Amino acid sequence: MTTQQFDLMVVGGGPGGYVAAIRAAQLGFKTALVEKQHLGGVCLNWGCIPTKALLRGADIAHTLKDAEHFGFTFDNLSFDIKKLVQHSRSVASKLTQGVAYLMQKNGVTVIDGTASLADKCLLDVDHNGTITQYRATHIILATGARARNLPSIEIDGDSVWGAREAMTPTALPRKLLVIGAGAIGVEFASLYNDLGTDVTLVEAENRITPAEDSDISALAEKAFKQRGIKVLTNSIVQSLDNSGANTVALISGSEGQQHLEFDQVILAVGITGNIENMGLERLNVASQRGFLQADGFGKTNLAGLYAIGDVAGPPWLAHKASHEAVICVEKIAGVEGVKPLNKDQVPGCTYCRPQIASVGLTEAQAKAAGHSIRVGRFNLNANGKALAINEAEGLVKTVFDEHSGELLGAHMIGPEVTEQIQGFGIAQQLEATEHELAQSIFAHPTVSESMHEAVLDSLGIALHQ
Amino acid sequence: MTTEIKPINMPKWGMEMSEGDINAWYFAVGDQVNAGDDLVDIETSKIINTVTAPSSGILRAIIGAQGETHAVGALLGVIASAETSDADIQAFIARHTSAVPESEPEAAPEAVLTEAAPAPIAAPQVSSSSSKLAEGQDDSLVAASPVARRLAAEYAVNLNNITGTGRHGRVSKGDLEAAVIAAGGRLIGNTSNTKGSGAAQYGDDSHVKATPVARRLATQLGINLLECRVSGDRGRVCKADVDAVAALKKTLLAQTGSSAMAGTGNTAVESQPISGMRKTIAARLQSSKQTAPHFRVHIDAEIDALLEVREQINHSNSDAKVSVNDFIVKACASALIKVPALNVQFDGEQLSYFSNADISVAVAIDDGLITPIVTDANHKGLVDISNTIRDLATRAKLGRLKPDEFQGGSFCISNLGMYGIKQFDAIINPPQGAILAVGAGEQRPVVKDGTLAIATVVSLCLSSDHRIIDGAVAAQFMSVLKGYLEQPATMLG
Repeated sequence: MTTQQFDLMVVGGGPGGYVAAIRAAQLGFKTALVEKQHLGGVCLNWGCIPTKALLRGADIAHTLKDAEHFGFTFDNLSFDIKKLVQHSRSVASKLTQGVAYLMQKNGVTVIDGTASLADKCLLDVDHNGTITQYRATHIILATGARARNLPSIEIDGDSVWGAREAMTPTALPRKLLVIGAGAIGVEFASLYNDLGTDVTLVEAENRITPAEDSDISALAEKAFKQRGIKVLTNSIVQSLDNSGANTVALISGSEGQQHLEFDQVILAVGITGNIENMGLERLNVASQRGFLQADGFGKTNLAGLYAIGDVAGPPWLAHKASHEAVICVEKIAGVEGVKPLNKDQVPGCTYCRPQIASVGLTEAQAKAAGHSIRVGRFNLNANGKALAINEAEGLVKTVFDEHSGELLGAHMIGPEVTEQIQGFGIAQQLEATEHELAQSIFAHPTVSESMHEAVLDSLGIALHQ
Repeated sequence: MTTEIKPINMPKWGMEMSEGDINAWYFAVGDQVNAGDDLVDIETSKIINTVTAPSSGILRAIIGAQGETHAVGALLGVIASAETSDADIQAFIARHTSAVPESEPEAAPEAVLTEAAPAPIAAPQVSSSSSKLAEGQDDSLVAASPVARRLAAEYAVNLNNITGTGRHGRVSKGDLEAAVIAAGGRLIGNTSNTKGSGAAQYGDDSHVKATPVARRLATQLGINLLECRVSGDRGRVCKADVDAVAALKKTLLAQTGSSAMAGTGNTAVESQPISGMRKTIAARLQSSKQTAPHFRVHIDAEIDALLEVREQINHSNSDAKVSVNDFIVKACASALIKVPALNVQFDGEQLSYFSNADISVAVAIDDGLITPIVTDANHKGLVDISNTIRDLATRAKLGRLKPDEFQGGSFCISNLGMYGIKQFDAIINPPQGAILAVGAGEQRPVVKDGTLAIATVVSLCLSSDHRIIDGAVAAQFMSVLKGYLEQPATMLG
């Protein structure tokens, strides 16, 4: 058997893997990328992008409902979910082709198949039963992650959907149970509620979006309840009974147990890394709780092996994977000035309605870390633009270190805040203090003026509240 | 008014460098350049590196054109202010091109810069401000905004000299610029005009009457207005005149190109000038073969025990992927310490003995080969050597080695085992005294105690410079090396 040789091989074609391959090829590595299914990974095919295409449909549904407020009325309004799903799939396939083009343009060899580590720096790639061996000085694993099951509840693709099934429905569920109120759970709850489904959202923690600042969670919960989403926090789905026509869920919470009936369930209780069947155990590659362990540049404990993106642990975000891809490859190549990933500077965005975006520490985390802090808040109901577009439900919250003026965290909920969070991200990267932000001129009328006001509030000089 | 004229010279990167090829200029004549801007790429012995502008001003002349080869210290270009007359520039070039500092091996560009400029000099604005503000201790701890810090580097200003007015005394961009102006400097990118002087040999064309379009076009095309006929109204050079010169130059270029082509009768032959790296390889190896009388000693080493140790190390240590070659580097390092007469450099006059084994490892790259160095290999463990070589080889292939990572070394190893080569001999990498050529480890029949047996054997061949290394010394080294390889535990101690 002949063994092909590459300088650098990447396993997995998602936003971590394909970016690593492009950067490596740019730097002059002879590069190959192994992908078993779809270039683009979960993000492009089954995650970020197709869900945003669906959520655009939810936005339109919301706008149409809200249209009466602006004087419009409709007759015979109808909706075909198949067309919305079709739009979502076509966007995904377009982007996948885009990635294939980028691979070709950069001279990256794309290998179809499932990879496993035969030894250090040695990959076996199984393509329909034929195994080809490849040798590479550097191997980057970017194999991603998949939805996690609960011991008592598993995704079956029928009555219990994972994200994949939830983004390709053939009909709209009537009564939907969403288990888990993290980013994925609240996005689906928001989507299906806007499309007209009766949604119940169950979360084991004491608030929805438990990773966000508690003020943001509180506002999100209030907004969800106003929209008619039933929110059950501190609650656990004990079991599902599928024996009848509908699924009966046994839910235990602070008010005791209750049986509730649904025609569809979505399980969104987190993810687990794709680390199995790759020969990693045999080579003693270090992992922890289902994810590979790597240093700030993605290097694992095995010579020549690196891990980036979801498989290397939280935060499980496409842009974190892409960033890790670049720093991992640049570190290998000896590019000067490469800095390890600072997880406090990775923004997170949730595309429910209203949108949630944040970067850095929450107020509670900042206090727990021993900072003495200066907090600013600004409510969107005092923002002219937000009122004008009738989306004045929201909040901007900033957390500064009182002594250094460092922006420790920023938390936003409201219309298009996912497009605004970068402003705080840049300020953080440039180590701007609250004073530089206060001195910056924000355009009027914009929703992002609230960012400015929140900073002013932290100095006790907010102008419009 | 005359101001200081700054030469751009062929730098000297390392002992071995005697000349460099001009690869590409980032600026054209007439362009404004700022201190620290990437100016010109030079291809030298094994690397392409960039010369940065020593000061701010206008690139007034390019003497070293793209594709040309110039000696170290040679004048490549001239930076001066817009006010400096072309006559002064010409005089400066004439003075500097006639006397190339041949006998100044360490003549860095900065050293040449301080050389006295033409007699009547008004204090240059930017550089005088910089020199006043440049002094001081390490300023990395001074509070400054990122923009201010970047600008400080461009102006060569030490932040210790700036009073910050930001919060907690942080230096802002405004503070920095105010200080530069206060010191009599000028702000980068704010130069009032950049007069296009075109090709330097025609002299100052600033007095030539020309339409604004013609003048701009001439600057962009590197054409001197004195080259142009005058056909515009009111005696001005117009756009058509500049275009005519540009077209003429293009035709001339095409002709010289095609006549060169006509010279080669055989159409199947593709001629191209050799790269700087190839030139260096050619020159060094030829000189080595001509000046150093090579002699070779061969020895075979059985490496079955070594392979077993290697397997144990790689199996027990996740972060180790030790190769046979890594063992050979380690064994050579130990042997060089034991036989120091081989751990030498010789420049034809002087013999330098090294106390540490800095071992060059030949790495094949796309358009040649390069020999990155495992420094202090005698003090490094096997895994350390292995990881160092992986990093060096990775960056060698990407062209990202720093000069000090491949220049020097006291001994060289070339391994062609991966190609299945049984044995070969190598040419010494001067100024080193010896090189080891390593073949493939393979199973061979051997006679042990009078019976035929099978062993994994690697053939080693040492080429030594007989001027400084005697046969017995080479033989002693090889026998020590064989001992280490056959009993690997002895070198790990």
